[in-house]
Amino acid sequence: MEKKFFQTSIKDSLFTGLIALALFGPIVGLRTVAKNEVLEVHPKWFIVLIIVIVCAVGRFLTNLYVYNRDQKTGIQTSIGKSISNFLDTKGYQIALTAIIFSVIFPFLPFTDRYLMDIAIMMLTYIMLGWGLNIVIGLAGLLDLGYVAFYAVGAYSYALFAIHFGWSFWICLPIAGIFAAMFGVLLGFPVLRLRGDYLAIVTLAFGEMIRILLLNWYQLTKGPDGLTGIPRPSFFGLPFKSFPDEGEQTFHTFFGIEYDPMQRIIFLYYLILVLALITNLFTIKIRRLPIGRAWEALREDEIACKSLGVNPRNTKLTAFAIGAMFGGFAGSFFATRQAFISPESFTFIESAIIVAIVVLGGMGSQTGVVLATVFLIGLIEVFRDFESYRMIAFGGAMVLIMIFRPRGILATRKPTITLEKSSSK
Amino acid sequence: MSQKLLDVENLTMKFGGLVAIDNLSFSADKDKITSIIGPNGAGKTTVFNCLTGFYKASAGSMFLNKENERLNLRKFSDFKVAQKAGVARTFQNIRLFPQMSVLENLMVAQHNKLMDASGFTILGLFNSPSFVKKEKEAVGISKYWLDIIGLTHRADDDAGDLPYGDQRKLEIVRAMCINPHLLCLDEPAAGLNAKESAELNKLLLFIKNEKKTGILLIEHDMSVVMEISDHVVVLNYGKKIFQGSAKETKNSPEVIEAYLGTEE
Ligand SMILES: Nc1ncnc2c1ncn2[C@@H]1O[C@H](COP(=O)(O)OP(=O)(O)OP(=O)(O)O)[C@@H](O)[C@H]1O
Ligand SMILES: [Mg+2]
Repeated sequence: MEKKFFQTSIKDSLFTGLIALALFGPIVGLRTVAKNEVLEVHPKWFIVLIIVIVCAVGRFLTNLYVYNRDQKTGIQTSIGKSISNFLDTKGYQIALTAIIFSVIFPFLPFTDRYLMDIAIMMLTYIMLGWGLNIVIGLAGLLDLGYVAFYAVGAYSYALFAIHFGWSFWICLPIAGIFAAMFGVLLGFPVLRLRGDYLAIVTLAFGEMIRILLLNWYQLTKGPDGLTGIPRPSFFGLPFKSFPDEGEQTFHTFFGIEYDPMQRIIFLYYLILVLALITNLFTIKIRRLPIGRAWEALREDEIACKSLGVNPRNTKLTAFAIGAMFGGFAGSFFATRQAFISPESFTFIESAIIVAIVVLGGMGSQTGVVLATVFLIGLIEVFRDFESYRMIAFGGAMVLIMIFRPRGILATRKPTITLEKSSSK
Repeated sequence: MSQKLLDVENLTMKFGGLVAIDNLSFSADKDKITSIIGPNGAGKTTVFNCLTGFYKASAGSMFLNKENERLNLRKFSDFKVAQKAGVARTFQNIRLFPQMSVLENLMVAQHNKLMDASGFTILGLFNSPSFVKKEKEAVGISKYWLDIIGLTHRADDDAGDLPYGDQRKLEIVRAMCINPHLLCLDEPAAGLNAKESAELNKLLLFIKNEKKTGILLIEHDMSVVMEISDHVVVLNYGKKIFQGSAKETKNSPEVIEAYLGTEE
């Protein structure tokens, strides 16, 4: 038994080595160098050899120490266990601490412009994660094209704000509605699809939207992007260092010195509020009949039908509401950047958001925050090592999947309990 | 006056060349238990799938008679059979929502009424009193059924963590939570031990007598069938080969030959 296991492990790792050779041989091993106007191939077999050995040995070790464990719970180390216990039971306290921390964050002594920018970026991803959590985590619809709704939100915000000069608070709901409409548009054709098939179609949808934005030049200015998107103002008071004659700005109104940080802090609170609204809304709607139907649909669509739950409407609302929050986040992105182009809405964005939801623990709101801080933080830390960023990203995902295969926060709390409702 | 609850007439279901149900007619009474028995592959589950709209029957008709309307079940597709006609069913392989709590399973069954009460979610978002009241009622109904099957203490546990026998019972009361006129049970006693199947009999008799719900029962366990059915329909290769009371069925030579076998 033991011996046979050992043998299959060795076989398996040799096979992994072969795959690594086939992959990395051409990619890493064959390097072309332009010399005197001819292309010469400089093979680098030594590096390939190292990579192949690393892959094979790594596979062997994971075979020995990972995959013969219980796959559902992952590797159990005593530290890992106590951390996961802590996360699973103290979710509420963690959330509260995080909210308090994020409210006072801009005024902490070490907070500077750079940290604020990262914080704003993280909050945007958290909001997107929370929005996508409705679609993936609750309704169980693997949507790989979520960035499309982010893009639709950003572009509709930008177009309405530029052409009609409407303010942020008017354009925001419009962008949300547009994104929701696109959510339904995507939802209809994929109603019958599940799992991998759904993932492929949504992925294609995301690309379609991006390509549409690239090519519809009259409307979107294609690859040039849209410029001059109005900056947000503080309830009508713009953030400007030199106000026009007779114009009230934020700093003149409050009688303080102008500081570019004021706008950043305002943006920070804006996205914080938007994200928290997304969160509150999701927490609430999960406990309503529609939310419960989403989760039921994720669990068993046939059983849902046998109970009279309309799967079409249930799925479409999930797509629409998820997309709406993507649209809101897109509006924020547009107003913050003041410039958008299709380049900001590539597949990698979708992939990052899906990774955040899955790694956080499908359906877990706190998990999304932890995964975002972890992943985006990691990407930031590796900013100076551009080419290693994605390796670090992928490595982190593999590690989480080994230690917490069902996500960082995997426990699900019932939406309604008999204890509570009978003691009321 | 003594109208049947369900009238199935000349039902035929073909899968390509295979005739799974062949010109089948039978009826089921209100507050009676009608059993459908027959060997494996006889077409029993297929009858349920046609009735509940999961398959579109090739020919024939199925009528459900309510107090003052006669519904053609063929006009409804899957979820509408449960929603509009009030035909509930369970599955041969249990289909609970395993990662949702026991109570949540029962709440999903009351989805349509709660959805209306939540004003398509808008009233619900603002905790409108009418919705809160309806939700409480729904919890009350769930608790009522949990009390009956003795699972109240596990209401907040994941349905998937229940022992097999309890999952079967939960699936049945979940179907009852949609407040059906007709309850279709596909092999509810499969995998139950003697004690559990005795409890199941009690539950089914309770549903029949107290809830006045018609029951269609597919079952291989003859102790269940013979003890509680009022009427038995025997299928073989998609054809009805016999119908009658439990006692008549037990003694019918055709049924013994095709299905029951002789006791040695
Ligand atoms: N979707 C389908 N496509 C093709 N053939 C099917 C389909 N569903 C059922 N059948 C066939 O119809 C026949 C009847 O199947 P059915 O499941 O109704 O049998 P059953 O009486 O419920 O048997 P069991 O006692 O094993 O549950 C079988 O031959 C089966 O292979
Ligand atoms: Mg069957």
